[in-house]
Amino acid sequence: MNKKSTRMGYLMLLPSVLLILVLILYPTVNTIYQSFFEIRTQTAALGPKFVGFRNYVKAFQDEHFWDTLWWTLAFTAVSVALELIIGMGLALLMNRKIPGQGLVRTAVLIPWGIPTVVSGIIWTQFFAQNGIVNSTLAAFNLIKEPLSWLGNEWLAKLTILIADVWKNTPYMSLLLLSGLLTISRDYYEAAEIDGAGKFRQFTHITLPLIKATMSVTVLFRIISAMRVYDLIVAMTAGGPAGRTETVSMYAVNTYFTYGNTGYGATLSVLMLIISVGISMFFVDSLKTKGSV
Amino acid sequence: MKRKKKAGTIGYVIFLSLFLFVMIAPMLYMISASFMPQSDLNMIPPRLLPSKATLENYARALAQQPIIKYVYNSFIITIIAVVICVTAGSMASYALTRTNIRFKTTFLVFVLAISLLPTITLINPIFKMYSKMGLLNTHIGLAVIISVLDLPMTIWFLTAVLKNVPISFEESAKLDGANMFQIFIYILLPLLKASIFSISILVFIGAWNRFLLSQVLNQFEDCRTVVVGLTLYQTTHTIPFGVVAAAAMITILPLLLMVLVFQKNILGGIMEGGVKE
Repeated sequence: MNKKSTRMGYLMLLPSVLLILVLILYPTVNTIYQSFFEIRTQTAALGPKFVGFRNYVKAFQDEHFWDTLWWTLAFTAVSVALELIIGMGLALLMNRKIPGQGLVRTAVLIPWGIPTVVSGIIWTQFFAQNGIVNSTLAAFNLIKEPLSWLGNEWLAKLTILIADVWKNTPYMSLLLLSGLLTISRDYYEAAEIDGAGKFRQFTHITLPLIKATMSVTVLFRIISAMRVYDLIVAMTAGGPAGRTETVSMYAVNTYFTYGNTGYGATLSVLMLIISVGISMFFVDSLKTKGSV
Repeated sequence: MKRKKKAGTIGYVIFLSLFLFVMIAPMLYMISASFMPQSDLNMIPPRLLPSKATLENYARALAQQPIIKYVYNSFIITIIAVVICVTAGSMASYALTRTNIRFKTTFLVFVLAISLLPTITLINPIFKMYSKMGLLNTHIGLAVIISVLDLPMTIWFLTAVLKNVPISFEESAKLDGANMFQIFIYILLPLLKASIFSISILVFIGAWNRFLLSQVLNQFEDCRTVVVGLTLYQTTHTIPFGVVAAAAMITILPLLLMVLVFQKNILGGIMEGGVKE
């Protein structure tokens, strides 16, 4: 290929590069920079004041930050683990040649396609004081008084997890299915001849062969679960008493409600560091993905 | 043996029906509630089907918030986002698969890495930047940032597709004296039509559902998106669920139609593209 085509290549890459530089890279660097300053909307006229790591020290001593962080991480771990297990089961089912396959795959798209806010609204209603869940439990005499699902910290957390699993498992299962579809039938036939049972086939053939797909899928789910914002805004708005507030919500409030830009930036950078840290565990799988 | 197999099939059918029910029931309940008269919604235990279908909730949903305006805003923003994303993305994938530029792998890995960034690290500088440039509360401003967030997925998807398109078509065009730009427009884009369509639908759905950036950047009514507008129905507890359900139905109607009509493209897009949140 000639020089002209190379120049053309850079030219065609330019729009993407510019968009990313201006709207992703610059804001990220700017946020990191601001995390070292005391900047408040209320005292904007005084200008930013350099405070070194003081915002970070403050974050480590900030109990609310730790609460939101633990909840965000616990939410991420539990929801992704459940989604992976259930999603894998579904993917194995969908991988079989069965009647109604098309129907299943379409049904799976519904939770995936609707906005998170809408799934939050529906589940909030299910778990409302006079909602379907309470009346079903009461009908089976499992509860005497209606439970206040969203008014109790742990029940609210459980409700949020259920809504999240309902919304995101389908997508996970489709990605896992795409991995399963690349495995040749021959392996299973050979294993069957050798007398390996279904479970051994799963652990010895299926799992190793879809490991790469699975890791990348899990990584992306982890990262997006850690950003959780709209689901909880729609369901509890962080309540009761801020107990279901996530780091994203805390950072957004710090920025736009309290006008504390420097500290908001610090919370964001801490989240960024955790995201990068988690991604490091998945570098090998990403490399396989990168060599597509 | 035969009996065992039959039992297995029945078990499977039961499981499948149960699963389909769990996936769809919440949606069906919302549809049902959106047509319920107020009295049905106050019943204990709650009714599953309306005693008589009414459009009262829809009328109230339309009256309480300018939701049609929000739907219109979402459409404009989403379509601009799709156009920017797919244009920039297809150009980039062309450069990455058909030219001799350097740092191809670096670029692809970098693009993947930026899709792992938490949104909160971007939001405040973008808010400040947009505020200075007069882009807050505009369709174009929100559309551009949303398109960038979906750009990594688009680039990865189209690069993977283009790698599998044989280069022979382009070579004969090159012999006829076409330049690279002409080849891109007249040969590759038509070949990629189906893939571009699939990814456009994925970007459309993703963009329609974006929440945090839309909430922060377009706070005023005139450019507010429908997903953000929907949460405003909830702010006062006096608003009955029927109205919220009706508003939610209006919000998701375009998505629902899209999923039902284009399910094949969507499934293909998700499963070939590999990764999308």
